[in-house]
Amino acid sequence: MSSHREAPAISQDAVADSTDLYAFVSPDDPSTVTIIANYLPGEAPFGGPNFYEFGDDVLYRINIDNDADGKPEIIYEFQFRTEISNKATFLYNVGPISSLGSANWIRKQFYTVTRVVGGKQTVLGRNLPCPPCNIGPGSTSNYESLASAAIRQLGNGHTVFAGQRLDPFYVDLGSIFDLGDLRPLNKVGPLKLAATHGVDSLSQMNVQSIALKVPKTALTSNGSNPTDVTKPTSVIGVWTSASRRKSVIHNGDGTTTQTGPYVQVSRLGNPLVNEAVIPMAFKDGWNADAPAGDSQYAKFVANPELQSLLNVLYAGAFPHLAALASSGKPRADLEAVLLTGLPSGIVPGFQNNTGKTLADQLRLNMAIPPAKKPNAGGLAFGDAAGYPNGRRPADDVVTIILRAVAGLLYPLIDKTYKVDAAVSLVSDGLGPQNSSYLSGFPYLGTPSSGYDTKGLAA
Amino acid sequence: MSDLTRRDLVKNSVVTAAGMTVIGAFAADAASADSGAAGSEPVVAFVSDPSKGEISVMKGEREVKLRDRKLARDISRAVR
Repeated sequence: MSSHREAPAISQDAVADSTDLYAFVSPDDPSTVTIIANYLPGEAPFGGPNFYEFGDDVLYRINIDNDADGKPEIIYEFQFRTEISNKATFLYNVGPISSLGSANWIRKQFYTVTRVVGGKQTVLGRNLPCPPCNIGPGSTSNYESLASAAIRQLGNGHTVFAGQRLDPFYVDLGSIFDLGDLRPLNKVGPLKLAATHGVDSLSQMNVQSIALKVPKTALTSNGSNPTDVTKPTSVIGVWTSASRRKSVIHNGDGTTTQTGPYVQVSRLGNPLVNEAVIPMAFKDGWNADAPAGDSQYAKFVANPELQSLLNVLYAGAFPHLAALASSGKPRADLEAVLLTGLPSGIVPGFQNNTGKTLADQLRLNMAIPPAKKPNAGGLAFGDAAGYPNGRRPADDVVTIILRAVAGLLYPLIDKTYKVDAAVSLVSDGLGPQNSSYLSGFPYLGTPSSGYDTKGLAA
Repeated sequence: MSDLTRRDLVKNSVVTAAGMTVIGAFAADAASADSGAAGSEPVVAFVSDPSKGEISVMKGEREVKLRDRKLARDISRAVR
């Protein structure tokens, strides 16, 4: 979760595995939107001798739909290359790394950013440096200075960073995937244990982040600055994708010959869709498909397996949800949140609808300003600047989506529906960790260092 | 498929196969008579079903699809 190792095939291809996607109006620069695409799930900080990096043979994309057709009108492409400056050592670095140009740093990674609009490619930056991984006080003693040096200003008001950060996502994987248990609900759940707080399975783990700050005017279909919440042009749909060459020949000498067009192997819009909505047998196919074709998966959103599981695992706790599930009525509330965005008239003063095309995208109404006091519960808790209006790093999407599946938002489309009292208790018992975030770009916290990490989830 | 003739494809192919699936990876041979046209960039041909004669040829980021039953059969036979 939210998309860490979520499908069988991509779980075996970590560098192409998108873990989370974020899109929000930059709180300290509200004329811009920041989009963060994280890859490589569950990086243990002590990663030597081969520390983590992006895949040189992967084409990473951030896709923007700004005219509600489910297809990308704007694409940002990221392609990486790695250099080894000393072929005589087995080490990542042979001394302290005090700058991005340090000769002690043996294996450096660089990248190119290209903006594609209507098939026309514009290179925004070449040979942009990634920072090293956070190794420890001996090698990367002033880590944030290295990371800050890797933040680069591109043309047309774009700002970019690509490199290791602390994974901002929090989830109790150990509990949830042990028969759907939620520790705060232990007493009535499948394990029948004492209730406890959740355990963050991703605590101290790092990810590889691609963070891009873009002027709003570079994202709208007409180049305007979106100020009217009600206008369709204020809404964009965002998803990230990773692609590999169609043909890979292993040459038998440790090298490969890669040929042919790039083929998509991973994608991510909303959190948890492929993870907890799409059945196992369809997950790999979903990763290869384009969002514009998601009508084929709509039945899994309209009748989610998870709503039935909640009624089985927490028998008697969700009588209204049980009745709704047994009625066979499609979950139009979930379809709106995940596949079309919420139309006007559902939540007063809010919409992030992109029309009738069913497509898994993270939809952001850019006319909604950043919240002065963000609520990690997002829109359901009165904060329209949070999920499902885009997604901020601290948003508690596990709780939001679990409660949504449990019926929290169903009254939006059926005012006679009464939400079960137990829904307010549905949570994996975790919340944002303040140390996991920065107040400015790239907004994600300092990655855990290998030396300082005593053990996972300690 | 402008610069690769059927003759080049067969002449230069080094074919490996499993069952009816044939993947041919072949770099243009510098000694071949038509090396100038073929260039040195690797070319991959993929015959997903020889009986249908469908051949996918990839070079760089390009992919073209051919339908040639005899060529597909010849490639398949090369690995028998």
